[in-house]
Amino acid sequence: MLSITNLSATIDGKTVLSGFNLEVGAGEVHVIMGPNGAGKSTLSNVLTGRDGYVLSGSIDFDGEDLLAMSPEDRATAGLFLAFQHPTEIPGVGNMYFLRTAVNAVRTAQGLPEIAATDFLGQAKDAMALLDMDPAFLSRSVNTGFSGGEKKRNEVLQLSLLQPRLAILDEIDSGLDIDALRVVATAVEALRSPDRSMIIITHHPRLLEMVKPDHVHVLTGGRIVRSGGPELATEIESQGYASAMADGAAAPSTS
Amino acid sequence: MVAATHEATRFDRLVRPAPDEPAITNDDHLAATRRADALAWIDEHGLPTGRDEPWHYTPLKELGAALGEATPAPARQLDPGRVDALAGAHGGPRLVFVNGYFDAEHSETPQADGVWCGPSSQVPPEHAALVASTAEGELSDGFEALNRADGGDAAVVIAAPGATPSAPVQVVHLTAPGDTLEIAHPRTIVCVGKDADVAVIESFVGQPGAALRNTLSTMLLGIGASLRHHRVQTEAGECLHVGLTNVTQAANSTLASTSVMLGARVARNAINVRFAGTGAQANLRGLQVLDGRQRHDTMITADHAASGCRSDQEFKSVVDDRARSSFSGHIIVRPGVVDTDAHQTNRNLLLSPQGQADTRPWLEIFADDVRCTHGATVGRLDDEALFYLRSRGIPAELGRSMLIDAFIREVIDTVEPKSLRDHLKAVVAAKHAEAPIGHEDLHREAKAQVQS
Repeated sequence: MLSITNLSATIDGKTVLSGFNLEVGAGEVHVIMGPNGAGKSTLSNVLTGRDGYVLSGSIDFDGEDLLAMSPEDRATAGLFLAFQHPTEIPGVGNMYFLRTAVNAVRTAQGLPEIAATDFLGQAKDAMALLDMDPAFLSRSVNTGFSGGEKKRNEVLQLSLLQPRLAILDEIDSGLDIDALRVVATAVEALRSPDRSMIIITHHPRLLEMVKPDHVHVLTGGRIVRSGGPELATEIESQGYASAMADGAAAPSTS
Repeated sequence: MVAATHEATRFDRLVRPAPDEPAITNDDHLAATRRADALAWIDEHGLPTGRDEPWHYTPLKELGAALGEATPAPARQLDPGRVDALAGAHGGPRLVFVNGYFDAEHSETPQADGVWCGPSSQVPPEHAALVASTAEGELSDGFEALNRADGGDAAVVIAAPGATPSAPVQVVHLTAPGDTLEIAHPRTIVCVGKDADVAVIESFVGQPGAALRNTLSTMLLGIGASLRHHRVQTEAGECLHVGLTNVTQAANSTLASTSVMLGARVARNAINVRFAGTGAQANLRGLQVLDGRQRHDTMITADHAASGCRSDQEFKSVVDDRARSSFSGHIIVRPGVVDTDAHQTNRNLLLSPQGQADTRPWLEIFADDVRCTHGATVGRLDDEALFYLRSRGIPAELGRSMLIDAFIREVIDTVEPKSLRDHLKAVVAAKHAEAPIGHEDLHREAKAQVQS
């Protein structure tokens, strides 16, 4: 589904990713862990098409050249990023935003637009799973939301847009244990054989609830070690330094 | 004082001619005197220049050139349906003036709910003195003097004490241009009696073609009166529009004013609010949306001449292409006045690299007991917000319009009734759809300038 080959990313003269390789198959859940400054956020920025990076290498998304696509084309092709810091947009209603986004994706897929009343029902069902008050539909996008509310709003979008590849960038940060459980349950429910996920995280706690297929350690702009879920446990008990020392030469294939 | 009706001045060719016959009635005599005095005033003081602070940002050169060639506009017939199409229909009474002349055929003036409305020439005797008094105050500038000298029929709305009509009164000043550049001096007079509560929609609209409009609206609010005033200017793109609104508020009166400026090549909207009694409040909001080579200048004055009053100015502009927007927020607090609240914000959204927005807080505070705040921003569309929308599959152009819509919504959403709100939304949407100068051309030009 996603194939990243020898990706390098430079911003303001600083190389953040270099020689980055990753293969994500359909239905797989990959976790990318790494210390601060390892390039985790750059990876999600580059995947979603944020401006400002000088890039080399290639990213193939279901046979298409992802790097040649605009951010909106990537989204309608089925790529979704749950932002680490969701943007507040005063004056744009959440309901209107969600429906516009869903209809943009549907239009690109050749499907008819969804009617407001049908959409409202879907949104309310999805919100119930996330333990979200429907009142959030009538507020401005993310505006004045708490950290946890913003994260739930991201997962709400994820569940309404039904992407084929979801990147969750520190979806667990700023959540207390109860909120984490709600979010993890919703994410787990979205797993399917044709939906892949890349979970970027510092903390293994989320991984007790969403079991990954593959865990990668990212440092210095490239993946230095890959393994199964046991790698996350190892990192928690021994830290990154030890994990990197053990397997610095390991190739990153899955 | 001599009513020198036939004495030529430099400016009398810009106003409608004085009657050939000598004044017979006392009213005729007073009108002739007013005309002569106003023309004498302007001969003495001249037109505003860039050195006059309130006119600092107004494109006076263009206005001056237009004044040099303009002749007084005659009355013209309208095609049926034009008024609804241009100004919307909002229920309630409607006064239509074309080029400053009352159009009885398109007007609806039921005298009900304690409101009298009609042309000043038909004002009943009991209101005559009140209406006449609006043309007696000190003149502030040459354009106001020209308007007074013209002395045309005014749209008059008088709400009796305690009146609370359910529907808004709509005043439509419609521009019907001729083959050459014509000037008209539309007037509106609104008097809100003690404890009355009325809504007035003042629409300045026009058919395509070049024209010069010099408007004067006078609003008097009695004790405890409430006026909701919408001033909507959607003149045609070749029009030049100089607008002045003078409001005087008695004690405990409330003004809620919303200005929306979309039209005209050059447009000025000056609103002067004077608190004459204690405990009065004025909430002044506004939005100007400009593109192409439009110039919009808003000049707001809140004159705190009485204690315990509150003024809020909240103005926004959206500037595209090579347009230039300006806002001056003047706050005056007179000596000896206490317990004053005066606040002001001006937010500008620049959509193109060659648009310009000037913003100026202008505070003259001669008292101590004042809570005064002012703030201004000039910015572009939020790139982060646009990226967020695009990352959800929303095309960039749609994302842009969603963000612009969010910016102007704060003003548009307060507009009542819904029919006017919908009308304005449609006019704004149509304006954005036009895009007189392509964005790509502008960006290319900007880049070329940087490189050279």
